[in-house]
Formats: sequence, structure tokens, C-alpha cells
Amino acid sequence: MTVCTYDRRQSLKFTPRESVIIHFRSGGLRAVLFTLLWWILTDGATDSWLVGAPVVLFATLVSVALLPPFSWSLMGIVRFIPFFLWCSLRGGMDVARCALHPRLPISPGLFDYIFRLPPGLPRVFMANIVSLLPGTLSAELGANYLQVHVLDERKDFLSELEKVEQRVAAMFGISLPPSGGGE
Amino acid sequence: MMLGDYLTVVLLIAGSIFFLAGTLGLLRFPDVYTRLHALTKADNVGLGLMVAGLALQAESWTVVGKLLMIWLLVLLAGASVAHLVAAAARQRGIKLWKR
Repeated sequence: MTVCTYDRRQSLKFTPRESVIIHFRSGGLRAVLFTLLWWILTDGATDSWLVGAPVVLFATLVSVALLPPFSWSLMGIVRFIPFFLWCSLRGGMDVARCALHPRLPISPGLFDYIFRLPPGLPRVFMANIVSLLPGTLSAELGANYLQVHVLDERKDFLSELEKVEQRVAAMFGISLPPSGGGE
Repeated sequence: MMLGDYLTVVLLIAGSIFFLAGTLGLLRFPDVYTRLHALTKADNVGLGLMVAGLALQAESWTVVGKLLMIWLLVLLAGASVAHLVAAAARQRGIKLWKR
């Protein structure tokens, strides 16, 4: 299920009226999330809402102003969570094994991964995820590539990164061009 | 002790092992880039396991939510800072260690 909102680059496709609707829908959703956050932070104290309600409203306005609505997919996000948890567990075990091993079995290297994702939030998100995954660390975010430091260059990181990129694209409701990546 | 308490103990011990391994990696790994690997990944899992263990002892859902927020914020900070340190090291021309 893809919720149809837009990002900066595609904004021209929408009429002003549609754009207003999109902003309101996105703002409403964010207001719900901020309300939930306030509820968590205050342990649900009822008398805190005197402060909480204006804060939620202010946070929503600032959030929509700073980060315009972008496309995302609920299914993509739900499917990303177990994938991420499993990958970070593998990443932690892998690096723990290397650190505890007497001979330090690492063979580091650098390589460039050409993005298929569009610029902006999806790329930044992927760069952050890559650092938490097994054996990879994002070193430099270039104009259209991500320089990745790998702990063991004998492993096949390209297909691993392509998989991650595919998952991130699914979260943002983006479809990627078929081939791509590369050194 | 209840079953949940045993699970908490197991998760906390497992989490601290990851923290220990991360710290050991920080000391043993040869250069800034490899050390960042050890810190980000091992601490991410270590804290995740500790948060899971503590969430089992939580008395309300808001406490679970707070623990989860702590983990997410540390993930975000850890990944962003690791990337910034690595990018700064690249810009200064710090060479990576090669076997």
C-alpha cells in the first residue's frame, strides 16, 4: 500500500489544491505520532496535555515546514523491521567474532556503490542503515555514490548492498531501475 | 523468579557481552575505520538486547515506548556519528589499514 504524497522533486506534478490536501494529510499523521510521543514521555499524565497539545501542534507545523511530505509505504516499513533486526544481529555477531578472534581475521577495503535511489532522504537513510549492517560502514556520501568501508573485502558486498537498497526503496514506495550498483 | 526474569537476565548478559566485544574491538582493531565498525555494530546489538531485557520488566507501555525511543535515538546518533567520523577521516587523508 503506497500512500500518495510527494517529495520536492516531483512537486510540479501536483496542482496547488492537491498539494494542500497532501500537506494536511501528512501533517495529520505526524500530529498523531507526536501525540503518541508526548503520551510516552509523560506517562500519559492527563494534566500534562495543557502543555502537550500546543507542543504537538507546534512540532507538527515545524516538521511539515522543515521536512515536506514524502512518499512512503506501510508494507515496506513493516517488512523492513525484521530484515533490519536480523541484519544488525548478524552485524554485531560478525564484528564481535572478529574482535574476539586471536588472529583478527579482517581484510578491510573501500569501494564505491553507485546509488539507484533518488537523492535526499532515501540516500541518507540508506547511508545510516549501511553502517549498522554486517561488515559495512558508510564513509562518504558522494553526488551519486556511497563510499563504503568494508571489514572484509573478500565477501560479496555488492549483492548485499543491492538488497538493502531494494528494501529502502520499498519503504519509501520507490521503484528502482533494474540493474545498477557496481564498483 | 519468573520465566520473564530469567529471560531478562539472559538478554542483559548477552547485551553486555556485545558491549565487551565492541570495546575489545575498539582497542584491538588497527585503524579509525575498523574501530568504527566495532563500535557501531556491537553497541547497537548490545543496547538492543539490554532494551529488550528491560522492556520485559516494564510496568507500563509508556516505559516500553521510552526504552524503544532510547534505542532508536542511539541507533540514529551512532550511525550518523560513525559516518561523520569516517567522512572526516577520509577528508584528512587518513589511510586505511590493509592486511
